[in-house]
Amino acid sequence: MTTQAETRGRMTLAAVDDKLVLAGAIDETAVLHELTGRALGGRLVLDLAAITFINSLGVRDWIRMQAAAQKGNLAVELQRVPEPLVHQLNMIMATRGNATVTSFFAPYACDACGREESLLIDAIANAERLVKLDPPPMVCPECGAEMAFNDFPERYFSFLSV
Amino acid sequence: MRASSILIVHSDRKTQRTVQRVLGVTGRRVDIADDLEQGIQLLAHLSPVLVVVDGALSHNAEHSATIGKLIELAKERGAEACMTLLGSTAIAQMPALLRLGAVTNLLVHQMPILAEELTITAQKLIRRDLFGAEKYLLWGTELHETTLIRGSQRAEVVGALAEQVRAFGQSARVVSMAMLVADELLSNAVHNAPIDAAGNHHRKDLARADELELDARQQIRLRWGCDARYLAIEVTDQFGTLDRDTILASLAKNDVRESGGGAGMGIALAYRSCDHLVFNLAPGVRTEIIALIDVRYPPTERMSVSSYNVFVERPRGDDHTG
Repeated sequence: MTTQAETRGRMTLAAVDDKLVLAGAIDETAVLHELTGRALGGRLVLDLAAITFINSLGVRDWIRMQAAAQKGNLAVELQRVPEPLVHQLNMIMATRGNATVTSFFAPYACDACGREESLLIDAIANAERLVKLDPPPMVCPECGAEMAFNDFPERYFSFLSV
Repeated sequence: MRASSILIVHSDRKTQRTVQRVLGVTGRRVDIADDLEQGIQLLAHLSPVLVVVDGALSHNAEHSATIGKLIELAKERGAEACMTLLGSTAIAQMPALLRLGAVTNLLVHQMPILAEELTITAQKLIRRDLFGAEKYLLWGTELHETTLIRGSQRAEVVGALAEQVRAFGQSARVVSMAMLVADELLSNAVHNAPIDAAGNHHRKDLARADELELDARQQIRLRWGCDARYLAIEVTDQFGTLDRDTILASLAKNDVRESGGGAGMGIALAYRSCDHLVFNLAPGVRTEIIALIDVRYPPTERMSVSSYNVFVERPRGDDHTG
C-alpha cells in the first residue's frame, strides 16, 4: 500500500508497505525526528535511494532521529542508502546510531568504456565480503566488462564497522 | 628598497628544489633552511614576504610548538603569510597542524607539488590581490552569477547549480559535493554574516526555515565556474565578519566527526566536501569563500584531506604583518 507523498521543504515522504520512502534533500525542513512516530511493530524502515543530498542542519536532524529511535527502542533499518548519505555516515559517527544498513549504493567505474555508476550493494548477502573490505564484483551496464570499485574500500565501507 | 625574499623550510632536498623552482618565478630571492631551527636562525637576518614550511616537521608536540614559533617570528619579521605544505605521506600530521591554530595556509599535495596551487597562493600574498575565483580557473572560464535576495532562494539556487553542473557532464559525486558546499556557504552567509548596528549577529539563531528578506547589504553573491580541472563555487557576503580564529577553530573541529554538533559545522562540512577551501577576508567589508572541487580525478586518486587558505586583506598603507 502506498500513501500520497508528503512534501517537507525539499524532501518528499511516502509510506510504501512497511517502509517510508524519502526523496530529495534532507535539510532544516525535513523534521526527520518525527518519523519515529511512524514506526511499525518497533521497526522504522527507511528507503533512501532518492535522497540527493543532506546539509549540516539535516545531519543534526538525522542524529536527533537516531537518538529518538534509540530512546524508543526502535530498530532502524536503512535501505538503498545513496552515496551522499554514505559519506555522512562515514564522516560523522553519530549519524550511524544503532541503525542497520541492509543495502547501499557505491561508486564503480569501468576501465573499458569509462562509465561511472553508483551501484546497489546488498549488505546482508555480501556481509562476509564487506567485512574483508572486498567490494563485490559488478558488470558494466554499458559494455559488459567488469567494473572496478571507485573509492578506497577502507574509507567507503567504514560506516559498516560501527 | 631591498626586494623581499621567500624562505623555504623543508627537510627534503628534492622538495626544496621543486618549491624553489616554482616560487623563483615570482622574481623574489628564495632562501632555504633544512629544518625549523635553521629557519628560525635565518629569520633573524631576513624579512621574507612569504615563508613556506614543511608540515611534516610537526611530527611531535615539541616540533609543532617550534612551527608555531617560526610562524610567529616570521610575522614579526614582516612576512605576509606562512604557507604550510603537507605531502601525501604526512597526512597524519593534519590534526596537530590544525590544533596549532596558527596555520592559515595549508596546501595538501601529492608529489610532485602542484605548481599552480603554490604559485596562485604565493602571488595572491605577494601582490595583495586576494579576491575572485578567476585566479583558480583557466583563462576564458565563464563564471555564472546569481544574487540571493531572499533566504528561501537558497534551495532554488542550489537546485539550479546542481542542474547546471550535471548538464556540464560532471558525475553525481561532483554534483552532490557542489550542492552540499553551496548550501552550507550560502546558509552561513545569510544567517551568520550579518550584524546589527550594535554588532550582534542577530540572525544567527533564527530558524533556517524562516523566510528572510535580504536588504542591499545582506544580499549574497554566488558565482561558480568549471574549467574541467576545478569546479569553483564562490560565495560573498558584504559584512566581512568571519574572522581567522573562527575559521581555524571550525576546520579543526573534532566533534564534527564524533557528534556532528556545534557551531561552525557548516564550514567544517564544506571543508570536508571539497578539495580546497579559500577564505578571502576583508574585515568589515566582505567575506568571500571559494570552494574548489577537483573534477579530474576519481576518489581513489584524491587526497584524503583538503587544502585551505585564509587570506586577510589589510588596509592600504598598513605595512604591519596581518
